[in-house]
Amino acid sequence: MNSHADSLCVNFALENDKMANSKIMIVDDDPDLRQALRLRLRANKYETVNAVDGYSAIAMAYKERPDLIILDLGLPAGDGFVVLDRLQEDDKLSAIPVIVLTARDPQANERRVLRAGAAAFFQKPADNAELLDVIRASLNRAGTGTVLPS
Amino acid sequence: MNGQSTHVLLIEDNPGDADLVRLRLVQANSAVDVSCFNRLSDGLASIKEKSPSVILLDLNLPDCQGAETFRRVLEKAPDVPVVILSGQDDEALAVKALHQGVQDYLVKGAISSSGLERAMRYAVERQALLRSLDMSRKQQLEFKNQFLSHVSHELRTPLTCIHQFVSIPFDGLAGEVSAEQRDHLKTILKSVNQLGAMVRDLLEASRAESGKIRIEPRCVAIGELIRQAVTMMQLAAHEKQVGLEVGVDTRIPFVHGDPGRVLEVLINLIENGIKFTPPGGAVTVQACLVQTDPDFVYISVADTGCGISPEARALIFERLYQDPNAVDNNRKGLGLGLFIAKELVSLHGGRIWVASEPGNGSTFSFTLPLYSLAKLLRPVITSQERLRDDLVLVKVVLRPLSKPARASWKETCQHCLEILQRCVYLDKDLVLPPMTTHGAEETFLVVASTDLERANIMMARIREQLGKVSDLNGTGELEVSASAVRLPDGAGQSLEEQVQGVAGAVTEMIRSVV
Repeated sequence: MNSHADSLCVNFALENDKMANSKIMIVDDDPDLRQALRLRLRANKYETVNAVDGYSAIAMAYKERPDLIILDLGLPAGDGFVVLDRLQEDDKLSAIPVIVLTARDPQANERRVLRAGAAAFFQKPADNAELLDVIRASLNRAGTGTVLPS
Repeated sequence: MNGQSTHVLLIEDNPGDADLVRLRLVQANSAVDVSCFNRLSDGLASIKEKSPSVILLDLNLPDCQGAETFRRVLEKAPDVPVVILSGQDDEALAVKALHQGVQDYLVKGAISSSGLERAMRYAVERQALLRSLDMSRKQQLEFKNQFLSHVSHELRTPLTCIHQFVSIPFDGLAGEVSAEQRDHLKTILKSVNQLGAMVRDLLEASRAESGKIRIEPRCVAIGELIRQAVTMMQLAAHEKQVGLEVGVDTRIPFVHGDPGRVLEVLINLIENGIKFTPPGGAVTVQACLVQTDPDFVYISVADTGCGISPEARALIFERLYQDPNAVDNNRKGLGLGLFIAKELVSLHGGRIWVASEPGNGSTFSFTLPLYSLAKLLRPVITSQERLRDDLVLVKVVLRPLSKPARASWKETCQHCLEILQRCVYLDKDLVLPPMTTHGAEETFLVVASTDLERANIMMARIREQLGKVSDLNGTGELEVSASAVRLPDGAGQSLEEQVQGVAGAVTEMIRSVV
C-alpha cells in the first residue's frame, strides 16, 4: 500500500517535471556557443540536447523528439536549410517549432528561412531576453510547454 | 588588329571624302573592310549587324551636325571606339568630344594614310584598355562587398561567444558576482554591443554604396515613431544626465516610410546628440510641417552640445568621417552612422542636413514625404467626375493571442493583407498601405465607397476569408468593424477641393479609430 502511494507520487512528479521542462535541441557546430546556450536554457528550466551538424540534427530529432529546435544555418554535413527541409518533410517532426539562430545576414536569409518553415529568425549575437520570449511563445503555440513566469 | 580583319564603320556624306578614306585605309592595311553610310541614322542602325571595330565619323551629316552627332553615336555604341574625321579644325569641339568619350579628333586633309591607320589602331587599343580598367574597378567593388560581407559574418561568431559568456555571469547564472565585478562585466557588455553595431554598420554601408539596401514603405504615424525612438534612448540619456524631449504637433500628418529604417535614422541622430552633449544639456526631437515645402514632414534632432565646425559640417555625411576635434569620452565609432542615415533618408526621397555653430549645439534635420491620402483616394471616391455618396472606413485588427515569434507573425500579417486585397472591389474600395504597428497588433484599413449596409456584406466576407488563414488559427484573433465617414459639405467646391476635403475627413477618422 505504502509503496503504491510512493510510486504514484514519483509518477506524478515525473509528469510534472516533463510538463515544466520542455526539451530543446541545440544545433550548432561551435562547441562554445552550444555550451553558452545550454547554460542559458538550463537556467531557464529547459532540458537540452545537442547536435553538431545537419546529419546528426535529423538523427537526434528522431531519437529525442525535442519540443523545440534552435538551428544554426552554416553547418557541416547538411546546412540549416537542408535540416529545415528534412524536418518539414517528416510528419512526425514537422510540428516541432524551429528557431534559426545564425551569424548570417537577415536581409538575405530571414524571408527564405521563414518560408522554409522556421518559426523565427535571429541574427547572432541575439538578445537573450528576446530569444527566451520567442522560445516561450513558440512552445506555448505548439502546445508542449507550460507558461513560465517571465 | 593583329592580322585579324578590321571592320570600319565610316559615316560620311561626301562621296569623294569617303572614297579617299577607303583608299587610304586599304593602302595602309589590306585586312581592313569598310562599310560606308552617308546618314547618321543608317550608320547607327547598322551597328548591331556589323559590330564594327571602330567608327570613323564626320560631324556634318545631312541628318545630324556637330556635337549632337558624336553624342548619339556614343549613346548607341558605348563600347566601340569612335574617331572623328572632321573638315573643321575646331579645338574646343575636339576637347569636348574627347571628354565625352571619343577616342580621337582628326582633321581631314591634315593626315596621311599611315597616320590615319595608326590613329585608328591606337583608338582601338585605348578603348580596350579603358574597358578592362572599368571591368577591374567593378570587380574590385564586387570583391570589396563580398569581403565585407564575409568578414562581418565571420566576426559575428566570436563576438557572439564573448557576448554569451559575459552575459552568463552578468545575469548571475554562474554564481554570485560582486558589485565591482558586475561593473566590469557591464563595461565588457557595452563594448561588445558597440563592436556588434560596428560590424552591422560595416555591412550596411557597403550595401548602401552598391545600392542594395531595400526599404518597405508604409503609412507611418511619425509622432509615434519619434516617441518610440525617444523611449528606447531614454536610459542612455538618463545615464549621461542629458535631457531628452519630444515636441511633435499632434496633428502632424502620416508619412510614407519604412518604420524600421526611419527608426534607425532617428536612433542614430539621437544617439549622436546624447554623445556630444555634456551632462546637464538636452536633446530635443521635433516634427513639423513647413509651409514652403508642403509635401514633406520636417524632423529635427537638436542638441546643446559642442557644435560642429563649418569644415566638419561639409564632410559629416561622408563615409568614414570622424571629427578630429570632437570631444568624445565615449570613444569613436566607425564614422558610418551618418553616411548610412543619409542613404536611408534619400532612399525615402527625403533630404538630410545639419545646422550648427561651434559652441552652440547642432540641429540635424531630415525630411520624409507625406503620405498623401488624397492621391490614393481619388480613384475610388470619385465616379464620372463627381464624388460618390457614401464612404465607410472598415477596420481590420489582427491580434496575436500569445506573444508570437515576431518574424512569423509578420508573415501571417502579410498573408492576411494579400487576402484582404481580394475581398474588396478594386474600383470602389481601397486597402490602405499598412499602418505602423504598436507591438504585434496589426491594423488594416479599407476605405469602401458604399453605405454601411453593404459594408456589412464586405465585413462578413473578410471575416470568412481571414478566418480561414491557418496561421491565424489558435494564434491570433480577428476584429472587424466599420464606421461611416461623415463627408464634408463640398457645395460649390471643385472636385479637387472636394477630394482634399474627404481625405481630411478620412484622416481624422483614421486617427480616431487607430
